[in-house]
Amino acid sequence: MSDNFDPKVKKFTCYKTTKSDEWYARAAKVIPSGVYGHLGPAEGLFTPVNRWPRFSDKAQGSYFWDVDGNKYVDYMCAYGPNVLGYNDPDVDAAALAQAKLGNCTTSPNKIMVECAELLVDTVNCADWAFFAKNGNDATQGAILTARAHTHKKKLIFFNGFYHGVSPIVQKIDYPGVLPEDVANNIYVDWDDIATLRKIVAEDNDIAAVIAQPYDHGNFYDNKYPADGFWQDVRKLCTDNGIVLIVDDVRAGFRLDIAGSDHYFGFEADIICFCKALANGWNMSAFCGKEFLKGAASSLSYTGSYWMSAIPFAACIACINKMKKLDTPKLFRELGTQLTDGLKAAAANNGFNLVVSGAPALFYLRIANDDSLMLHQEWIAECVNRGVFLASHHNHFINASLTSDDIKRSIEICEEAFKVVKKNHPELG
Amino acid sequence: MIDQKALAYVNLYAVLGALENLCELVPEASAALTNKKPLSIGFEVKGGPSATITFANGKCRMEQGCSKCNVKLPFSSCEKFNGLIDGTVTPIPSKGFTHIGFLLKDFTKLTDLLNKYLRPSDEDLKDPDIFRINTEMTLNVIGVAIAQLGNQDEICKFSAAHIVDGSVMIAIKDGPAVEIIAKNHRLLCLKKRPEKYRCSMIFDSYQTANDLFGGKVNALACIGTGKVEMHGLMAMLDNVNRILDRVAIYLA
Repeated sequence: MSDNFDPKVKKFTCYKTTKSDEWYARAAKVIPSGVYGHLGPAEGLFTPVNRWPRFSDKAQGSYFWDVDGNKYVDYMCAYGPNVLGYNDPDVDAAALAQAKLGNCTTSPNKIMVECAELLVDTVNCADWAFFAKNGNDATQGAILTARAHTHKKKLIFFNGFYHGVSPIVQKIDYPGVLPEDVANNIYVDWDDIATLRKIVAEDNDIAAVIAQPYDHGNFYDNKYPADGFWQDVRKLCTDNGIVLIVDDVRAGFRLDIAGSDHYFGFEADIICFCKALANGWNMSAFCGKEFLKGAASSLSYTGSYWMSAIPFAACIACINKMKKLDTPKLFRELGTQLTDGLKAAAANNGFNLVVSGAPALFYLRIANDDSLMLHQEWIAECVNRGVFLASHHNHFINASLTSDDIKRSIEICEEAFKVVKKNHPELG
Repeated sequence: MIDQKALAYVNLYAVLGALENLCELVPEASAALTNKKPLSIGFEVKGGPSATITFANGKCRMEQGCSKCNVKLPFSSCEKFNGLIDGTVTPIPSKGFTHIGFLLKDFTKLTDLLNKYLRPSDEDLKDPDIFRINTEMTLNVIGVAIAQLGNQDEICKFSAAHIVDGSVMIAIKDGPAVEIIAKNHRLLCLKKRPEKYRCSMIFDSYQTANDLFGGKVNALACIGTGKVEMHGLMAMLDNVNRILDRVAIYLA
């Protein structure tokens, strides 16, 4: 039986994270907030933090091991980059072969061209590809391209958005952000086409609308667009000379290999990718239509490692393998199998588990209270027994996940439901 | 970065409002008011807040508005009122000249004590009583300041606009708490532990709370070590914390 299952009492043992705590104490002395950003404990996604590992030791396939030696089936997938499984042999072989030829060189390696050609052939709306490192580089590049093309300054965002960390895509109340940084930003509620139309009718200085393909924000149920929403937005942008940017950093290649705009039946002017591009090898890209190629060419926009060759080799291998496996279909099936099992386990124990978003990027919420505290308790019990989830973020399926992994995950999560139920007799 | 009107609201309701706690927690403050006739001082700030502080039976209580007070202190602007708090402006009463003695003697003693307990020296903080009282009073000042800035400061209003209805609890484990109530994106602070709340931020000890209030430790690192625990609606708490970041600027 599995490593944290105790057959004598027929239950999963709880993990200790002593070494994680020690490493975190060391980290906090030399690294701001110990682990900053989305992988860290201060984002409100690990509640309470002492039930989560803070540092990993190794990873393989769908699993990682923390510094205490605890093994987790990982439904966060490094927050998305792990799309085929950690250490995928085909992707890593391509990357290591390229490493022997050269990586960060004075003239970019020709493999960059092959990578761009593959993206243009794969992504429905792409006539060209511009490479960078992180999702933020891609969204920032897309915005600069839109402004360079339109010579307009304003940007429309949908509330609940996350498009990276540049000051212009942060919010006025974030540390270090100036009111001037966000002065040209306009915010609209998701799916509110009427308000969007009104704003566009009254303002002729709008460079771009930027949006995720569906509302997969944190802390609330994820929402698909209403029927016809994207088609209406597309027409509005076309009619008014506004560049339509789809931020597919998170969902890209998980809904549709040709891009999430293709999945929802429209064409973006620019689409941004990162997480699933190269199975953890560091690169991002924004792809666009021919009419924006000149504007993208004009940008003063580059970086020391943006044309490194190893990630291009990994990207080519990753995209080809995703096509071969038909990962969107696989993720849909695996995600549905998992979330159906979780919903049933919840119902067996008197909990109403709401599942939202695409099965490939499922979002979970226990709806028995209005504070999410029961949900936080349940997630913590799951993590503490070896199923790595985040309290209030969409999760990710990867291609190495098996039905046995899912079955074991559901067993652990059901035990976690029983623990929460026992701790809350008031639930009846 | 600091708006004078918002600062006036913080200075009146959070800082001078802490006189309520001072009289409860510090016997010397309470003693200064015993065996004295009840008296009320009104603060009226043009283009800003107004409130009345009533002193009676060794206690003190603040209420909004100053239509009923024995002594009225008018200020021609928020800047002038803020000058009173930082010691650069001397107020002149428009009403209650016969009580000028209370203003000059007893009220001044109370504000000196307020300063002692809200801004103690490092040496004073070694005294366990001063440490405890400073921590509790600062928690209250911060709670009220969050509510005032959420309603008055333009950047904080953006944060408040993203806060859903309900209560937030900020507490010291096994110690005092404040309740921030949000309704239609307006905030109100009650200096008490809420019966029901949608999210909470709990400091594991007085030491952690005091270190955080004094800027001696990093808040995010404390969350990582579990010294500060957050529960419930994280988006609600996240926006309260964004206001809290600006409280530090206003109270610096």
